[in-house]
Amino acid sequence: MRAPIGIRIRNQRKTLALSQAGLARSIGISPSYLNLIEANKRDVGGKLLQRIATALDLGIEQLTGENEQRLIQDLVESFNDPVLRDVEIEGNDARELVAQFPNIAAALVRLYRAYVDANSSLEVYANRLSADPLFSELLHQVLSQITAVRSSAEILEETSDLSQVEQGRFLNAIGREARAMSEVAQTLIGHFDQTADTRASIMPARELDDLIIEEGNHFPILEEVADKLRSQLEETGGFGEAELAVLLERQFAIKVERGGMPEATARGFPEQYRFDANKRVMSFQGTTVAATRQFQLARLYAELAVPDILNDHIDDRRLTSPTARRLAFRALGSYLAGAIVLPYSAFLEDAEQSQYDVDYLGHKYTASFEQVAHRLVTLRRKQDEGIPFGFLRSDPAGRLTKHFPLPGLLLPSSGHACPLWPIYGAFRATDQVVRQVVQFTDGSRYLFVAKTVSKRLATFKDRPFHSSVMLACDVLHAHRTVYGQGLDINDIEADVPVGPACRLCVRSACAHRQEEALDPSGGDATVRAPLVPRRFELGEND
Amino acid sequence: MTIDVLIAEDEPGILESLDFILKRAGWSVRAVTDGDAVLKSIKSLMPRVVVLDIMLPKQSGFEVLERIRASDTMRDVPVLILTAKGQQQDKRLAEELGADAFVTKPYANAEVVEAVRQLLDKERG
Repeated sequence: MRAPIGIRIRNQRKTLALSQAGLARSIGISPSYLNLIEANKRDVGGKLLQRIATALDLGIEQLTGENEQRLIQDLVESFNDPVLRDVEIEGNDARELVAQFPNIAAALVRLYRAYVDANSSLEVYANRLSADPLFSELLHQVLSQITAVRSSAEILEETSDLSQVEQGRFLNAIGREARAMSEVAQTLIGHFDQTADTRASIMPARELDDLIIEEGNHFPILEEVADKLRSQLEETGGFGEAELAVLLERQFAIKVERGGMPEATARGFPEQYRFDANKRVMSFQGTTVAATRQFQLARLYAELAVPDILNDHIDDRRLTSPTARRLAFRALGSYLAGAIVLPYSAFLEDAEQSQYDVDYLGHKYTASFEQVAHRLVTLRRKQDEGIPFGFLRSDPAGRLTKHFPLPGLLLPSSGHACPLWPIYGAFRATDQVVRQVVQFTDGSRYLFVAKTVSKRLATFKDRPFHSSVMLACDVLHAHRTVYGQGLDINDIEADVPVGPACRLCVRSACAHRQEEALDPSGGDATVRAPLVPRRFELGEND
Repeated sequence: MTIDVLIAEDEPGILESLDFILKRAGWSVRAVTDGDAVLKSIKSLMPRVVVLDIMLPKQSGFEVLERIRASDTMRDVPVLILTAKGQQQDKRLAEELGADAFVTKPYANAEVVEAVRQLLDKERG
């Protein structure tokens, strides 16, 4: 999974007609070490990579090739789809296609996504027809009404000696049932309109993902704005939930209310918070944790204080629909909130001093594990960056619900990840940090750190809902983190052998495989043997 | 007191027409609109046939049928089930629980009358 950074360094050096010794001298390392880097035999990152990028007159992302890597992975995934199983595609074809025709590669990926989305919609409709309780209820109503109409009509038609009263009774019944049927028909239409809306939201979410990833999950203008807003807030005497509430009332006449009852729906809505723009009230449940309250107040304040800045950011050609722009407005509002609650310079300094102890940073800034973890991913300011982290969140069913990839390590954007990753192990050790050094099949190694999180306090009636959040960094940075302590990073034998996700993983002998790998080069893709290793044959173990 | 047919159906439009066509066929008919009332009425009215809808409030038609077949006093009463078109699973389950006959909604009135007539004939024979 590691990006061929060394090859890019060598190519660019040659393009600039620089000697290996000359470049090595200008960046302060030995020619032999540069030779190892160029041969991809040594990892390079952080400030050294920045120095190399500057010397070669390139952006750091051009060297790490993050966008290309994502494109390659997306292409490989699409080539592995059973629909293309008869097409002979060599292992290196995706890489060469991206290198030679990047726009065509991007177009292919976009087409594949549209195809996947269309298939997903079909599944949604099929499930809806067979299992949707509302649809089932509406169908029952329609059948009952048709039965009543048909039966009443037959009585009117076939019974010659009906009295006036009886005729009136059955005519009325037909009229009543027909009116009821038209109401059901309208409800049905509304139901399918809603389904269409849900379907339309699949692509906008991907567009937003792409935009954030292409920007390296760092938005310099938003960082500047966040620093100014934080200063304004601190002028009120400090920074916290109380100060945010005071400023929201003073500047925007917004009241903040908190529920007292423990039930999730005590305030008449199921979420942890709700802002009523008409009444100008921000409401929280009684069980909402302080970190969520502070974060959401900061987001509301940012959205109201600098809507123009946010609107400028979402006026982007990569966001092609109003839904995508609305999602982006929310996501960038959250980015601003994170940057206000966890201001860049102070937070980076604290992160370095505490060796990236996420729990400690959370206590210091009244922030949740997830908020801190997400903020760590955004510390990518040029010349002043933190450890490069990737981020992943999973729901209790194992589905990935949020992701920010790391150059070289491309985290799955949806579905399920490798079952051996600690993001799942964390569910077995609720509220404890689980760490693990993992090794991929290409030999690349990463430190994974995961913990379960909950956005609300649990009560007897209101059961806790946990997600799991995971940070990932190159194992080279493990010693800079508190999570590397006590680990023998050089003991490769102790690494957990993992893959990206079962269907993209080439470890054919893995005993933990949950889904058959999709292999374009061989094997019968129509034969799937979930839950058993690939080489396992029925009857073999007798 | 005994009656010929007990109808269990909660949709007023269907109930009204069922009541009419079955009385018109010459049978004594009573009607109830929920699952609890079916079981009580079978005990007190001892109907010769029960016309039972599946989607009933309080207790579904399935639950009612299960209780009828588990009861020493009610187990032999013939039951005609009203199912919905396309709901084959419902039909299979009702068969397993001991339903005697089925009519699928939306039905023709003559189908219901004929099905009830056959059950009454069988019961008499």
